[in-house]
Amino acid sequence: MTTTSLPILKAMGWGLKRKLIVSMLLVGVVPLLLGLGMAFLQGSKEIQVVSGESFQALATEAARKLDLLVAEEVARTSRIAVHPDIVRELERRRDILHASDRNPARISLAQQKTHWEARDPAAVKALTENPTALLLQAFYAGSQNESDLLLPQVVRAATKKLFVTDVEGNLFAALTTRPSFAHADSLWWKGTFNKGVGQLYIEDLHFDDQANAYVVSVSLPIMDSLRYEVVGVLHRVIDAKEFFSPATHPIRFGKTGHVMLIDSRGTVLSCPILPTGVRLSDPALIPQVTTRQPGWVTAESDGHGGTGTAIIGFAPLPETSRATNGALEIGAWHTFVWQSSDELFAPIRHLMLWMVILALVALSLLATLGYFAASRIVTPVRRLQEAARLIGRGELREPIQIHTGDELEELAVEFNRMHTQLEAAFAGLNTQVEEKTQEVQYLQKSTDQVLDAVPTPIIMIDQQDRIQYMNRASREALNTGENGWSARPLFDLLPLDQDHLQALRQNLRSVERGVPTASSHSDRERAPHVARDPLNPTVVQDSPTSRRELTIGSHLYHYEWFPLESRSGAGKRFGLVLRDTTDESRLQDQLIQAEKSGSLDVLTAGIGHELNNPLFGILGLGEAIQEEADLERAKGYAQDIVGHGRKMAAIIRDFTGVASRESKNQRVPVDITAQLEQALAIVQTSHDCLGLNVQKHYVALSAVTALPDQLRLAFLNILTNAIQAMGGRGDLWLSTEEHNGIITVKIRDNGPGIPKQHLGKVFDPFFTTKGQGEGSGLGLTVAQRLVKKFGGEIRLESPEGKGTTCVIILPADKAAVRKEEPCVPS
Amino acid sequence: MRSILTTILARPVWCAVILACASAYQLQAKDISPPAGISPERVADYVHAVLDADRTIYTNQVVNRMQAKGIVSAVEHWEHENALPLPAQFLQHSGKLVAESGRGIRYRLISLWPVYQRNAPATELERRALESFAQTPDRPFTGIVSSGRKQYFQAIYSDRAISDACVKCHNSHPLSPKRDFKLNDVMGGMTITIPLD
Repeated sequence: MTTTSLPILKAMGWGLKRKLIVSMLLVGVVPLLLGLGMAFLQGSKEIQVVSGESFQALATEAARKLDLLVAEEVARTSRIAVHPDIVRELERRRDILHASDRNPARISLAQQKTHWEARDPAAVKALTENPTALLLQAFYAGSQNESDLLLPQVVRAATKKLFVTDVEGNLFAALTTRPSFAHADSLWWKGTFNKGVGQLYIEDLHFDDQANAYVVSVSLPIMDSLRYEVVGVLHRVIDAKEFFSPATHPIRFGKTGHVMLIDSRGTVLSCPILPTGVRLSDPALIPQVTTRQPGWVTAESDGHGGTGTAIIGFAPLPETSRATNGALEIGAWHTFVWQSSDELFAPIRHLMLWMVILALVALSLLATLGYFAASRIVTPVRRLQEAARLIGRGELREPIQIHTGDELEELAVEFNRMHTQLEAAFAGLNTQVEEKTQEVQYLQKSTDQVLDAVPTPIIMIDQQDRIQYMNRASREALNTGENGWSARPLFDLLPLDQDHLQALRQNLRSVERGVPTASSHSDRERAPHVARDPLNPTVVQDSPTSRRELTIGSHLYHYEWFPLESRSGAGKRFGLVLRDTTDESRLQDQLIQAEKSGSLDVLTAGIGHELNNPLFGILGLGEAIQEEADLERAKGYAQDIVGHGRKMAAIIRDFTGVASRESKNQRVPVDITAQLEQALAIVQTSHDCLGLNVQKHYVALSAVTALPDQLRLAFLNILTNAIQAMGGRGDLWLSTEEHNGIITVKIRDNGPGIPKQHLGKVFDPFFTTKGQGEGSGLGLTVAQRLVKKFGGEIRLESPEGKGTTCVIILPADKAAVRKEEPCVPS
Repeated sequence: MRSILTTILARPVWCAVILACASAYQLQAKDISPPAGISPERVADYVHAVLDADRTIYTNQVVNRMQAKGIVSAVEHWEHENALPLPAQFLQHSGKLVAESGRGIRYRLISLWPVYQRNAPATELERRALESFAQTPDRPFTGIVSSGRKQYFQAIYSDRAISDACVKCHNSHPLSPKRDFKLNDVMGGMTITIPLD
């Protein structure tokens, strides 16, 4: 027990501890994880919003800065465009051209174009060294007196072409020989000229073969001195990368954050990472970032070839965009601010990492603290558990010592108290158990002795028909030794044939099923008295097997099964009682014989008495005839003799009729009054009834269903009993009544009555108050059985000293009304 | 040819009147002969009255009301910010449209303190006109100007800060050279140019 319970104890203790630790961890972990998750989500969202808004602000600022840069450059360039000398030159050219369609100036222009394209030195010189060209050179070189006209070095390097066309788009002056001659068909020229109204025209990024670079161009209309109409166009081609990079490249934040300038087609003008002229890697991104309003988006790509969530701020260049390609609708420039999402989200990831580390530390702390806390709780619990186990085995010697100062200590105190009380209770209980055991042993011994003393064999078996107990009588009857019977099957032990064994088994099964043995009641009633019925000796011949009898050796036994109380869980038990009826049945046979002969005596005496009277009459008349001389008188005597003879014949016929009817065994409607009269007649013939005064009062009209002879025999026995009791003299009242289908027959005598102590026994067989040979003691018994057989009852009422009344109650047969008239007392 | 040019140059005013009547007001000049004689000053006055009325309506009934109700405001970069053009821009854009229509008549806003240099006075006449507004803001300044061989009639009207929007924008614009304008100050002028040839 110790070896097996110890691991269980440990497992159980650890189970409680584990539960405590797990619950503490859960209590800690769930809110922690929830908090971490929400913090991460919220943090990511907020960092997106914050970054997006910052990027938007940065993009807007950068856009404004670049816008100013462009505006400044335009303003600077416009100084040439408004230079009075250039304006005057161009006005003059306009006037010459307008003067006539066929003037020499046009012809010389056509020649000039040819020469320029052929790089004719004279033509080149005419265009690159004319006063306007010189002004351009001065502007470019910064040799103008005005200090604010000085081109910054960057701008100067970025300027790839600078030239002026006249009002018809032909080259008027140029800084270098690179520009072509005629520009009237180019978009930028048309845009700038704008039907003579003139407008700033900034050309989108394109590759210029002559400059061998990606360029943008700024074209300014040169207005006449009134600012009324365009007289020429100043065109400047600028290397986009060189021009914008000083403005965009220094704006860096973090490792990857930067500002980029793109046009509305998504082409890069300037970017610290991407080369100028390429388009954004993701075309889907372009419409998102080239809106007219500043903003920020969370895009699926960053435009730099990277995928994954990217936050991009963007803003259009407000002023410059108005002039790009002539109108805002045709093209605009936008800033694009972006930072690698890895870098952008690095702080939150870093924070997350730290939070996870801290969470792990917190969890391990929780686990450790939980372990110690659980140990503190579990240790006393385990001691209590051990103590309970010891109490259960009765091995606790010392009181439990727990001093935790909480409920556990109180529990320990209660445990100790309980232990003390249990010990006290157990001590008393032991004594009681001993006493009870002795009592049980004593009872068992006495039961054994009682059972052994009983002469009736009693056997107890279990459900498998194995013998559990046999008393001495049964051991002797079955001739088994003292112990040779134990656990042997009963049916092997019984020396019986198959039929009897089968009947015995069936009877046992029916008892086992709880079916009351159907024949038991009638059986007890019928046997052993049935056979003694002298008038119905063998109506039903029971087979010996159905009579629950069996023969062992020379003994006849009546057997009876009975169920026994069994302990719960154990199978059913049954007892078998064998009643030795050997002597009883022998006695019965003798009694029946005696009864038969007794009845015969009565019958014989009756017949004798009946026949005697007419016989003596005949004898007397015969003698009288012998002495009578008068023939007439003699004839009269003879006639009387014949009458007596007929009477005798009638008597004999009656008796033979009895015999013949006895063979019939069929109940018929019987007139009860007639039977009573016949019985009275028989009794009166067989007994000395000279002093008998019979009073009759017959009222019942219905018949009863019965065997007439047996009913008469019952009346005969009762009347005999009454007349014998009166000693043949006294008053006898006979009456019949009918009420509610019940016929009551009363036979009252005024004899000495029946003593009270005998009243309960008068119907017992062989009970008699008469002397030896005077009566069999079966008369009333037979009468009672017959009345019961016909569904009636019989009882005796005998107030002592006031005679006896025999009351017979029989059910009336309403279907058959008595045919005869009621007898009138004779 | 020379004599024709001389004739035209000798009678600039009449030519201007005829042209103005024909182009700007679609007058059936051919039916009226000899010309009724509307002076260019009168033409410029008409044009200015129309322009001024349009802009005033726009300023008071559109911009100010929208801004007061918080529905939409007027900003310089209105294209980028879902906003209304400033009243000055309204005038300039309409002036551009008129110029692009090729009728010949043009008008624009000029100032001695322009936000953009293109709106500075272009001629000596314009300069003098703007300077004269300091003393006589209510008198238009007119004159004949020439560009090469072309001659034009110019009338310059003083232009006041008619709403808070004007003042606020000019006082806060990064390119604005003067930042102490007040409501109803003369901020510049409107030049109406009518060609005479």
